[in-house]
Amino acid sequence: MLTVEGLSVRADDLELVREVSFGIGPGERVGLIGESGSGKSLTALALMGLLPDGVTASGTARLGGRDLVGVPERRLKDLRGRTVSMVFQEPMTALNPLMRVGAQVAEVMTLHGVAAGRARERAAELLGRVRLPDPERIARSYPHQLSGGQRQRVMLAIALANEPDLLICDEPTTALDVTVQKQMLELIAEVAPALLFITHDLAVVASLCERVLVMYGGRVVESGPLREVFKHPRHRYTEGLLAASRLAPRGTRLATIPGAVPAAGRFPGGCVFRDRCAHATETCATAPALTDPDLTGPEPRGDGHAFACWHPRR
Amino acid sequence: MIVYLLKRLAVLLASVAAAGVAVFAFMAVLPGDPAEIALGVNATPEAVAELRARFGTDRPPVTQFLDWFGGLAHGDFGTSYVTSSPIGPQIADRLGVTVVLVLGGMVVALLVAVPAGTFAAVHHRDPLGAAISAASQVGIAIPAFLAGILLVFVFAVKAQALPSGGYVPIADDPAEWLRSLLLPWLSLGLVQGAVLTRYVRSAVLDVMREDYLRTARAKGRGRMGALWRHGLRNASIPVVTVLGLQLATLLIGAVVVERVFVIPGLGDLLLNGVAGRDLLLVQGVVMVLVAAVLLINFVVDVCYAVLDPRLRGAR
Repeated sequence: MLTVEGLSVRADDLELVREVSFGIGPGERVGLIGESGSGKSLTALALMGLLPDGVTASGTARLGGRDLVGVPERRLKDLRGRTVSMVFQEPMTALNPLMRVGAQVAEVMTLHGVAAGRARERAAELLGRVRLPDPERIARSYPHQLSGGQRQRVMLAIALANEPDLLICDEPTTALDVTVQKQMLELIAEVAPALLFITHDLAVVASLCERVLVMYGGRVVESGPLREVFKHPRHRYTEGLLAASRLAPRGTRLATIPGAVPAAGRFPGGCVFRDRCAHATETCATAPALTDPDLTGPEPRGDGHAFACWHPRR
Repeated sequence: MIVYLLKRLAVLLASVAAAGVAVFAFMAVLPGDPAEIALGVNATPEAVAELRARFGTDRPPVTQFLDWFGGLAHGDFGTSYVTSSPIGPQIADRLGVTVVLVLGGMVVALLVAVPAGTFAAVHHRDPLGAAISAASQVGIAIPAFLAGILLVFVFAVKAQALPSGGYVPIADDPAEWLRSLLLPWLSLGLVQGAVLTRYVRSAVLDVMREDYLRTARAKGRGRMGALWRHGLRNASIPVVTVLGLQLATLLIGAVVVERVFVIPGLGDLLLNGVAGRDLLLVQGVVMVLVAAVLLINFVVDVCYAVLDPRLRGAR
């Protein structure tokens, strides 16, 4: 349903996201993971056509036969909020502080052709659907009268209002309390159509997604079914990421990936991870392609587990 | 909301009272006895004492203050020591002219600043947006009276299109009234408009970076649609603050501009009062100006509450 091919994002001469390709089927839930600064959010914003000024996307992304990249704004805004919706990371600032919550939910429907009266009724229904108590009262409230978790539910109600084909969530639970986080994730799992879920929290991905994309340095370095990737990571970055998220026994040091994510444009040539990788050799100065060895081997299995590494974990 | 308004109103009344004390005290410590001024240097002490008794300036200051301040409540500003005519009606007459002058100037400023500032913010990366910012910078550097003289030179002396000064009451001839006020409005408004442009620009720029504008675009609004529907009201909150300060500045600026254009407003009355050593008149005009500034602050506070629901529920 969503097919992304060779998606790149650049700011002037800096390439921030390079040649990202993936697909999401109807009803499929895909996780996009990686450290901060790996290009996850930019990928999502590029799909929404909401990149900041001076940042441009190239490549192709098609959703249900319609192009999302390289299309004039006039046509993109018809798709936004109707065919593809997004929930952002920070619920405290994502709503207009001077407008009643109900009106902000209704707005996304009136923008796409729903009559004002009908939109108002639907807004209260939607607030109920995201399990906000007393939706009529919430609809009359202003954002500052709601908690962070409640506001994020409102954002979810806005995103779902026009029954989009694809929901993009960019760290929607990062700013919430742990208990609220869990409820929110269950709700997203329940109501989402196809889902692209961005996070750096591997446990969240494990509980929600069927397939996972691992990004580093603006590239997808490993992708495949969640179980496969988490149980048998092949890329050394994925391996490090999983090791770092595992609970260490008392008294032992926490596993980390040495070094830090470089600033945009400071990634090494070739394999972007090689300056932090213990297995890197001279071969790594050439960029490895994202390939699925099972497909080229004598007996293709075709579970779609691909990685871009010269020295993969066995 | 009601509680908030009552509180602001209480603050307004208290400030006016405090301002009254300050104005009265300030005038009282100025040297110069009205009775001595009126009678000249050769007056006998008996005559001076008699006149003091008639003016009431021989009474204790507190009594004099209460008498004067109590009178203000029903528009009685006392009787001039110099012209022996009541001051209240004179002030009322002139106040109308000044208010029209100031509000007209503010309208000109808004008409300039809101479109120019918004445009400069939306196009802040383009040369044209930068040019507007630079032009507003130049405007800021020009004082209102100089702008007035320049406007007179261009429109009255060179083009002979508008009168260079004078004032025609609206009741006499509405068209001439408008023509007589056009240049004063422009000279007050263009300068304030230049200042305001910069504030509008920065307020709109701030709002453009807000997450809720991105949310609006994610809903399917265009760039300008999002700014119009969700940005304008948010951006107007800091602008209202500046507007309040500017109205106060305009009120004071009007004193000078009234001189340039020979308009019989409060400023003109104040300067006449000072020149004629008419202490009670000066005291009255200053009190009205101070009260007007305090009233403007009150109106600004009310505007906040109307614009921002977060303030309405507040304590």
